[in-house]
Amino acid sequence: MKKRKVMALALSCVMVCSLAACGGKDSGADQTTADPAPAPAEKTEAPAEKTEAPAEKTEASTEAAAPADTAQAADITLWTYPVGKWGDSAVVDGLIANFNAVYPDIHVTVEYLDYTNGDDQINTAIEGKQAPDLVLEGPERLVANWGAKGLMVDLADLWTDEAKSLIYDSVQSACKGSDGVFYEYPLCMTAHTMAINRDIFEAADALQYLDEETGTWTTENFQKAVQAVYDYGQTNVGAVYCSGQGGDQGTRALVNNLYGGTFTNAEHTEYTANSEENVKALELLKSMDGINFDASIAGGDEVNMFCNGTFAMAFCWNATQEKNNQDQGNINFEVLPMAFPSEDGRPQLCGGIWGFGIFDNGDAAKIQAAKTFIDFMANDEKQAVESVKASNFWPVKDLGDIYAGDELMTEYAKFVEYMGDYYQVVGGWAEARTAWWNMLQQIGSGADVKTAVEEFVTTANAAATAAQ
Amino acid sequence: MAKNSGSSMSKALVRRETIAGYAFMLPSLLFFLGFVIYPMVQCVFTSFFDATMNREDIFIGFANYVELFQDKVFLGALKNTVIIVVVSVPVTCIFSLWVSSVIYDLAGPACSAFRCIFYLPVVTGSVAVAVVWKWMFNNYYGIFNYIGTSTGLIEKNINWLGDEKFALGCIILILLTTSVGQPIVLYVSALNNVDQSLVEAAEVDGATKFQCFWKIKWAQIMPTTLYILVITTINSFQCFALIQLLTSGGPNHSTDTIMYYIYYNAFKLYRYGYGNAMGVVLAIIIALLSAVQFKMTESK
Repeated sequence: MKKRKVMALALSCVMVCSLAACGGKDSGADQTTADPAPAPAEKTEAPAEKTEAPAEKTEASTEAAAPADTAQAADITLWTYPVGKWGDSAVVDGLIANFNAVYPDIHVTVEYLDYTNGDDQINTAIEGKQAPDLVLEGPERLVANWGAKGLMVDLADLWTDEAKSLIYDSVQSACKGSDGVFYEYPLCMTAHTMAINRDIFEAADALQYLDEETGTWTTENFQKAVQAVYDYGQTNVGAVYCSGQGGDQGTRALVNNLYGGTFTNAEHTEYTANSEENVKALELLKSMDGINFDASIAGGDEVNMFCNGTFAMAFCWNATQEKNNQDQGNINFEVLPMAFPSEDGRPQLCGGIWGFGIFDNGDAAKIQAAKTFIDFMANDEKQAVESVKASNFWPVKDLGDIYAGDELMTEYAKFVEYMGDYYQVVGGWAEARTAWWNMLQQIGSGADVKTAVEEFVTTANAAATAAQ
Repeated sequence: MAKNSGSSMSKALVRRETIAGYAFMLPSLLFFLGFVIYPMVQCVFTSFFDATMNREDIFIGFANYVELFQDKVFLGALKNTVIIVVVSVPVTCIFSLWVSSVIYDLAGPACSAFRCIFYLPVVTGSVAVAVVWKWMFNNYYGIFNYIGTSTGLIEKNINWLGDEKFALGCIILILLTTSVGQPIVLYVSALNNVDQSLVEAAEVDGATKFQCFWKIKWAQIMPTTLYILVITTINSFQCFALIQLLTSGGPNHSTDTIMYYIYYNAFKLYRYGYGNAMGVVLAIIIALLSAVQFKMTESK
């Protein structure tokens, strides 16, 4: 009996020891992963890059590099939404290798989010006190949502006078919360456009209604073009998609541009979509042959259906959509990007701005390391170009013609000048977005346009007031 | 003396066995307490607060519950959820019982093949299921519209998921395909366990097939039926993934369910207290219905 007890005790000890050994091994493995320069190859590259870096630094990057002197060893996490190739691990690994070549003691672990579940993942992490250190997204999340809730770090020290003088004013105001604090440091921007199937438009003799060179058209010509394409036999010309919030900037821009309506006031404190212009625009869209209010598809579906030829035009479009779909061989016709139609042919396009924000996790070393990372990615003269190019969008300051020789990007560059007000920072944005596509669904089912729009504005403004 | 010694020995043995029993239960108990009981208590507790992200919770008593029953979207979601349960539970039970009674006495491989076919949607991920159904229901090139228009059943394409007249029905149809797998497997197993001697005796006494089924088999598979009723009811009440992936509650809130509305309030609007209040109401409804189902099947 005693012998069995001794044996049992011995076996228990062995099991405990083996567990402890496993634990030790795991933590060791973690440490290995956490090593900022695990690959010898990277280390050998680093000095070479390091010698290059100081030589290339301009005045701007000297200031940008200031935190480098104080950069301490730290492990930081970057969660990135799929902003162009910033959602591609192969590309991001390369960008981080560049960073580690200059800052070998800061280790960056990346997690890739998507727009379907990304918000939920971050919100869950916030509630579990596991928020990432860095996140790459736009002001509607970084500033209007997490910033307004006091979760983000003030990035005032990155927003130096020089940075303010370089970064476009419209971008600056979007990165600042209503409390005047900068919660985002921007990297890239784009103007969302629409696109048409040029082959079908040509066959329908509808190209006469648009200006191919400037990519613009008037509201009157838009109506004529849609009618021509419809009469040609393409009964599904386009869709006001509204099954969810995906790609809703397209439907907002379409409605706002047709008769010059606005979505919010200039101060971004109130929703103004119930203007006569917007009501008129929605009534026009509802009455047009070939334009379907479709509550079964969202922006992503619309893009797919445009690429496969179901629709002759897409309202959810930009340079990256074309690049990605061309690369994947999804398009077998000529795409013509267009600005949204407006009465005077001077559109106000909905912009997209993406940049970095830092979650305040209470660790000064990590916050400093995160700032160093942002500074390197967005301000280092050589790296900033690479970082922006990885997004397939345009820089938020003058970096020269970074897409020289790239025909597609040059074609889309003409739309950046039409970028309108970045209003997505109004309070209650999440609820307003939902109310928007619910309103489109109501109109699609035959509800009175004015009543539906008034209901939308009431809901959205109540959310904006509650957010204050 | 010997008696006393024997009694103390047995007491010690009982104590040791009790301790061992609890020790074996401990891991599950800890799991149950940590992942079921604690969240339940927390859910009820939070439902009395105005709770949101990164702000101190504010005690508001029953205000969330009062708001719930004045919230038209919640009441609509409740109605949709009840419709899903009322349609889906009986149809799932009847259909799976019918399929099981047809296939349970087939030769081994044939029965297994049918079980696999019906169980496949259960083990397929919700996203994959949703993608396939979304394609089939597509307004422009979906297979249902293709078959419908080419056979003359429908005049023009129907926007199945985009029309409030059809959307909820489509969701229920998809839910049925993912719900019948488990009941079929359970019923096949239960029917195979029915005492054949009773069936044979009844047949000898002249009972018809229907009488054999109703008087003998049905009675013997009643515990399985009860289990199936309860789990199907709970699953139907918790219908969420299909809604999120296919309709986001639309069009015009016609496919909103309580689970989806909880998600929307808690994760999109950060109204944790309000979401929890809905969770409590949903839990009470499910508990009441399950109790009724237990009572009804017990009385039989």
